[in-house]
Amino acid sequence: MPVETVPAESVFPVPGAPAVVHALWLLTFFLHLVFVNSVVGGSLLGGLSTLVSGRGWKVAELFVELNSWAISLAITFGVAPLLFVQLLYGRFFYTASALLPWIWLGMLLMMAAAYYLNYIAKFRFAAGKGAALAVWGSALLFLGVTAIQVAVNLLHLRPELWTSVATDPMAAFRYGEFRARFLHFVLAALIFAGILLAWISVRRPEKGLDPLALKARAAFGMRVALVATLFQIADGLWLLGAMPRQVLRLWMRQGVLEVLPLLLSIILSFGLLAFLVAAQDPMANPKRVRNALEFFGATMIVMVGMRHQLRNLYHEAAKAADPVQSRAEWGGFLLFALTFALCLGLTICAVVRSVKDRPPEGEPVA
Amino acid sequence: MDYPLFTPAIGGGILIAVISILHVVVSHFAVGGGIVLFALESLSIKNGRDPVFRNAARRGSRILILVSTVFGAISGVGIWFTIGVVQPAGTADLIRLFVWVWAIEWAFFLLEIVTALLYYSTWEKVSPRTHLLLIGLYAFSAYMSLVIIQGILSFMSTPGAWPRTGDVADAFFNPTYLPGLVLRSGVCLLLAGAYLMLAVLAEKDPAGRARLVRFLAAFESMGAALAAAGYFWWENALEPAMRLVFLGPKPLLPGLSATRNQMMMAGLLCLALALLALLAPRFQAWPAAVVSLLAGFAVLGGYERVREGSRKPYVVRPHVFSNGLHAREIDSINQRGILEKSRFARLETGRASPSATEAAATGRAVFRSQCAACHTIDGYLGIRKLTKGADTETLNMILTLMKGDGEGRKKLLKGEEAPLDYPLMPPFVGTDSEQDALAQYLVSLQEVRDAR
Ligand code: HEC
Repeated sequence: MPVETVPAESVFPVPGAPAVVHALWLLTFFLHLVFVNSVVGGSLLGGLSTLVSGRGWKVAELFVELNSWAISLAITFGVAPLLFVQLLYGRFFYTASALLPWIWLGMLLMMAAAYYLNYIAKFRFAAGKGAALAVWGSALLFLGVTAIQVAVNLLHLRPELWTSVATDPMAAFRYGEFRARFLHFVLAALIFAGILLAWISVRRPEKGLDPLALKARAAFGMRVALVATLFQIADGLWLLGAMPRQVLRLWMRQGVLEVLPLLLSIILSFGLLAFLVAAQDPMANPKRVRNALEFFGATMIVMVGMRHQLRNLYHEAAKAADPVQSRAEWGGFLLFALTFALCLGLTICAVVRSVKDRPPEGEPVA
Repeated sequence: MDYPLFTPAIGGGILIAVISILHVVVSHFAVGGGIVLFALESLSIKNGRDPVFRNAARRGSRILILVSTVFGAISGVGIWFTIGVVQPAGTADLIRLFVWVWAIEWAFFLLEIVTALLYYSTWEKVSPRTHLLLIGLYAFSAYMSLVIIQGILSFMSTPGAWPRTGDVADAFFNPTYLPGLVLRSGVCLLLAGAYLMLAVLAEKDPAGRARLVRFLAAFESMGAALAAAGYFWWENALEPAMRLVFLGPKPLLPGLSATRNQMMMAGLLCLALALLALLAPRFQAWPAAVVSLLAGFAVLGGYERVREGSRKPYVVRPHVFSNGLHAREIDSINQRGILEKSRFARLETGRASPSATEAAATGRAVFRSQCAACHTIDGYLGIRKLTKGADTETLNMILTLMKGDGEGRKKLLKGEEAPLDYPLMPPFVGTDSEQDALAQYLVSLQEVRDAR
C-alpha cells in the first residue's frame, strides 16, 4: 500500500535536465563530506589527543586552525546539496524536517555555537593558553549536528516511518538504521581525520614541532584510523542488516551492475585496512600513508554514489517514487555555469595569490 | 497543508520574521562592510600607507569574519530551514522556479566566503596590492549575492509580468526589484558605517579617530539618504491593494502602519546622528554609535516587517497563501475536502481531547490545517478573542463569506480585478460538513473559556 502522507508534487517542473542536477549534487555533496569529515573527525581527534597525553603533539591546535576554514567550506558546500535535494525530493525532505522542527532549527544554534567555540579555541591557543573545554564542546556539538542530519535524511528516505515520528519525534533517533548510519558517518570522519593527521605530520609538519612528537602524532593518527576502520567494517554489515528488507530485495533484484558499488566498497575498505596496517609506522612509510588517503577518498566516492543510488529504491519500497516532471531550461543553467566558472576562477586566483605572494624582507606588507 | 503542521506558540510568521531579521542585520553589514573596508584600505595605500586607516580596516576585518562568515552564513541557512518547515509548499515552488538563480547566488557565496577568510588571515603576510585585491573580490561577490537574492525576495510581493508570461526573467526583474535593491544598498552602507564606527572608536590618536569617524559618517548619511529614496520608490511600485494594507487614512493593518512610522523615525534618527558625527567628529562616543546601530537595525527590521505584512495573505502573490493553499487548488479542495489533502492534520483528529465531540475534533483538524498558520488560540491573532460571542450561525456566516472569497482569489490569479470580503485572509476551503465542524470547534473554544 502506498504511504498516504507523502505530499503532492509542486506543479512547477524541475527547470533542468535531471542528469545535470544529479551530477552537480553528487560533486558538491562529496566536497561537503570531505570538509565535514575534517570538522567532525578533527574536533573529536583534538579532544581525544588531550586524553592520551598528546599535549605536545598539538593535534587540537592543528585541527582548530584547519577547521576555521573547513567549517565555512562545509557549510558552503552543504548549501548546494541542500538546494538540490529540495529541488528533486522537496516533498520528502520538507516533511522530514517539519517532523522534527525544533530539533532541526536547534541544529543551527548548535552549529553556530560549535563554530564560535572553534574560534575561541583558536584565539586561546594563539595566546598560549589551553582550550580543552572549547575543543570538546565543539566536538560534541558537531556530533549532535551529525545526528540530526542523519535523522532527517533517514526520514526523507522512509515515509512509512512518518506517522510514528509525528507522534513521537524522538523515535527518529531510536531506529536501528539511524544508529548504524550515524556511527557510519562518525567513524568515517575519524578515519579521515586520523589519516590526514598522519599525512600532515609526515609531509607538511608545522614549524617548530619536536620530531619525536611528530612521529608519535603520526602514529596516533594511523592507529585511530585503523581501529575506526575495523569498527567501520562491522558497522557497515550492521547497516545492511538494519535497512528495510524490501529495499535490499529490490536492490539485489536489480542486477549485477547495480550491486557492483556495494562489492567495490567492500573491496576498497579491505584495501584501506591493508594500507593502514602497513603504515602503522608512518614516518618509515610515507607512501603508504598517501595510499591510505587515496583509498579512503575512493571509498568515499563509491559510498556517496551508493547512497544516492539507493534513494529511489527506498521511495520505491514505500511506493512513493513517482517520477519528477522536468523541463530542460538551458538558459538558466548556462548562466549558472558561466557564473560558476567565473567565481571558481577568481576563487582559485585569490587562493594562489595569497599563498604565493610573500614580499621579500624590507618590501611593504599589508 | 500536505505537510506536518508546525505551529509554534509565537506563530510561524513571527518565527520567520525573528530569524530573518537576525540574518538581514548581519548580511547587509557583510555586504556594506566589504565596500567600506575596500575604501579604507585603498585610501590607506594611496596616502602612503596611512596607519590609522590600515588599523581600522584590520579591526573591521575581525568583526567581518566573526559576524558575517559565521553568523551570517548560518543564519542564512536558518531562514531557509525555517521557511521550509513553516511554509514548505511555497518554498518548494520558489525552489523549482528559481533553482538556477539560487545556484548563481551560491557561486558568489563561495567566492565571498573564501575571500573573506583569506583577507582576514593574510594581514602582514601578502603585499598591499594582493590584500586590496582580496577585499575587492569580497566586496564584489557579497554585493552580487544581494543583487541576486533581491530578485527572489521582491518576486514574492510583486510577481510582475510572470503570471502571464511564465518567464523566470520577468519574475526576477519585477516591479519592486530595483526600488528594493536601492533601498537595501543604502541600508548596507548605513549598517557598515554603524558597525565599523564601534571598531574605530578604539583608535587612540584623537586626530586619526576624528578622520575615521568623519569617513564612516559620510557612508552612513549617504546610506540613509539612499535607503529613504529606495523606500519611497518601493511604496510607489506596489499594487494599490498592497498599499491599502498599511497606507492611507484607514489602513487594513493599523499595526503595520505604525511599524512603518517607527521605521521612518529610526531612519531620521540615523541620518541626524550621522550628520552630527560628520560635523563634529571629535565628539563621537560609543553611546551615539550604539544608538545609531540599533536605529539602523530598526530601519531594516521595520522594512522587512512592512514588506512581509503587505504581502498578506500570500507567500507568493497571487499564487500561494501563507497556509500552504495554492489558489489553483480552491475548487478541487472544496470538492474533495481539506482533510483529504491535509493528511497530517487528519492524523491529529485521533488525538483531540477525549471529551470533544467528533465534529469538534474534525473542526480542530480543519483549523490546524488552514487557520493555524496565522491564528494562535490565545496569542498572536488569537482566535478565541476574535470569535468571542459568536454562535455557530454567525461563524458559519463568516466562513461562508470566506469561502466565497475563493471566487475572487481565482480571478486575481488570472490577473482580473475582484472584490474580497476578507482581503487579509486566504479563502476558506473544504466541504460543507468540514465548514460546519470548524464552526462547532470555534464555538467549543468559547465554552471552555465560559466554564472556567
Ligand atoms: C494569512 C493569515 C490568516 C489565515 C490563514 C487565516 N486568518 Fe483569520 N485573520 C487574519 C487576519 C490578519 C485577520 C484580521 C485581524 C484584525 O482585523 O485584527 C483575521 C481575522 C479573522 C477573524 C475575525 C474577522 C472579523 O470580521 O473580525 C476570524 C473570525 C478569522 N480570522 C477566522 C479565521 C479562520 C476560521 C481561518 C481558517 C479558515 C483563518 N481565519 C485563517 C489572518 C489569517
